[in-house]
Amino acid sequence: MTPTRKSARVMQERVTAYGFLLPNILGLMIFVFIPIVYAFYVSLHDWNALTPKVFVGFQNYVTLMTDSKWWHSVLRTLMYSVVYVPLLFCLALLSAVIVNALRGKTVGIVRTMFLLPFSITSVIAAIIAMFLLDPRSGLINQLLSFAGIGRQQFLGSPSQAIYCVIFTVLWINLGYNMTIFLSAIKEIPKDYYEAAHMDGATRFQSFRYLTFPLLRETNTFILIVTTIASFQVFDQIIVMTNGGPIDATEVSVLYIYKEAFQMLHMGYSSALAFVLFLIIFAFSMIQLKLVSSNK
Amino acid sequence: MKLRWKMTALAAISSMLVLQGCSSSAPAAGNAAGGTQGGKDSQGSQAAAPAKTGKVKLTFWDMHSDAESKFFKDLVDEYNKTQDKVQIEYTAFKQDDYQSTKLPTGFASGNGPDIYMISPGEFMKFAKAGLMKDLTPYFTPEVKSDFLPASLDAVTYNNQVLALPFELELLGLYYNKDMLDKAGVQVPKTWDELHAAAKKLTTDKVAGLIIPPDKGAYFNFIWYPFLWQQGGNVLNADGTKSTFNTPETAKALDFWGSFFQEGLSPKKLQLGPWEIGNLGNKTAAMQICGTWAINQIEDKYKDVPIGLAPLPIPAGGKAATDAGGWKMAVNGQSKNADEAAKFVMWAFGSSDTSHALKWGTEVKFAYSPRKSVVEKGKDIYSKGLRKVFTDEIYNSAIPEPRYPSEVLDAVGDAMQYVMYGKMSGADAAKTIDAKLTDILSKTK
Repeated sequence: MTPTRKSARVMQERVTAYGFLLPNILGLMIFVFIPIVYAFYVSLHDWNALTPKVFVGFQNYVTLMTDSKWWHSVLRTLMYSVVYVPLLFCLALLSAVIVNALRGKTVGIVRTMFLLPFSITSVIAAIIAMFLLDPRSGLINQLLSFAGIGRQQFLGSPSQAIYCVIFTVLWINLGYNMTIFLSAIKEIPKDYYEAAHMDGATRFQSFRYLTFPLLRETNTFILIVTTIASFQVFDQIIVMTNGGPIDATEVSVLYIYKEAFQMLHMGYSSALAFVLFLIIFAFSMIQLKLVSSNK
Repeated sequence: MKLRWKMTALAAISSMLVLQGCSSSAPAAGNAAGGTQGGKDSQGSQAAAPAKTGKVKLTFWDMHSDAESKFFKDLVDEYNKTQDKVQIEYTAFKQDDYQSTKLPTGFASGNGPDIYMISPGEFMKFAKAGLMKDLTPYFTPEVKSDFLPASLDAVTYNNQVLALPFELELLGLYYNKDMLDKAGVQVPKTWDELHAAAKKLTTDKVAGLIIPPDKGAYFNFIWYPFLWQQGGNVLNADGTKSTFNTPETAKALDFWGSFFQEGLSPKKLQLGPWEIGNLGNKTAAMQICGTWAINQIEDKYKDVPIGLAPLPIPAGGKAATDAGGWKMAVNGQSKNADEAAKFVMWAFGSSDTSHALKWGTEVKFAYSPRKSVVEKGKDIYSKGLRKVFTDEIYNSAIPEPRYPSEVLDAVGDAMQYVMYGKMSGADAAKTIDAKLTDILSKTK
């Protein structure tokens, strides 16, 4: 093959590739990048969405530095992530390993049960959880009373509310993440396990030295996507607590939403959204660095 | 190295989605909370009435649902038929995100309505932005004198009447007669009696008193009367100075908080605190609720023995209740503001009071801010529980204040601090007073 013919083919492949990517690139441009650039432009203004924008430079960014309510919401979000991400990761992996070991007709039923909460609209799932967690007539309090434990306030308690939200989001997302782990586990060739078994490896050793390392890419994916999603938690909170009681569940995205739509501080909320983006970006980078240094 | 760059880009893109995520999640949540009003979204009714050529086209945005929405739809149809200059398009949105999202984004994108509904809590936001046309010139002297002065004061800004009030919704104490009788409790008239009654009536299954536990405009709306009964207020008369740090505020906050701290009022409700179903399904013995509950009690909860009394007052205090209610406004920046104003005045501000009467007596139970309408509907206003409102509550009504959102939020914070035992009433009054002063200095 002559170099010119080769480069022509490469060129043609590239054109085809970009042709396939074009619809997505356009979609991302129109619905993600342009709004983000516009949001940054808005963040440099004082704007209530109703009257013309007034340019204020970086004033909104200066204001947010001393906005204690904002930083508390960031801390609350971090706390949420620190509890939620490892819990989801471990539980999803554990249930995938268990489901993978199941044999017979029950496998399908168990998998469906895990995935069921994810198949309901997240808001409906949140409402179901609210019924379960109702302090007066909820099922969970009734079960607790059988065990001799007193009635809990759950979503009506500033110290319990965030954990109730974590429990609900975990319940919704566990099945989906388990399915991803499960399909990755199924990709691992059986010969490896047979070899390990012949070498006398225990089940735990097979998991520790075979399954877990071979799931590295899936682990990275789940960790990063779950962390980002945990920073964006919103739907369930606005339905279940609307940030209360006494701001105990007011996470960053909810605070941004309230500043934008309840207070009509569009410029300020855009600045907050930008800072949150930087925080998430920094966390994702740290995670990537940690994961890639393990290679 | 190349892979790392790719992964970095991937991380950047996915984390950027947080910015976009905020905007896409919002309507989803609003829709969900909308619940039963699902069919009333914008797309459903937007295409209802295409404008005929040659006519001025006006848009009218509303947040009512069911029979109330039908009333306004019929009103628009009637107006469209009776004249041939303008054609009005009526659109009903879900109440949940109507004022918080639909109106601001509509106006911001230049696609706002010519005519719209507005609540007292959001009035100032739109008044200050010049989005309300001055309706003063459209009032005839007779019609103007027919309105209760307080109802027009509540919509007057810079000496201009910026919206048309057409209903007054008052608050009272609803109770289950059987439950009170069984517990040997008299209908409470004072704060002490209310507290003692709630304590006696609270069981594992029944809440003593339903008052709203979650922050928001309705939360403050129910609390204000307790402050007013002692002569206190959040801000001074012209809204320029905080009057929050007073013993009256502290007392009203402590009183409110005591119901939650002692477990007499639930901190979480399955039904909205404005739903009389809390009493109707017998999960509560008493509830502070508004005039809107009466039609539902008569239709849905006929078998439940529900009674009504004025809000209890503190020792040495005077009766006070909130008068809420939606108003109709005209977009001051609309090209056809004049035509829009004519429609609004035709509906509720002309010498013909039939629409106002139908609204307050047939479609729902609400008082009219017009004296002649209350007079004409006398028979209906004295039917059943309505009589309690008319004879014992109506005269103590104070219009719901139209505070900026920041003030509303700060007052809600004070209430929650006390409810959850984070602060005493006096400390919360002091803390929030400083916050209010700061807010007012910034919004001048």
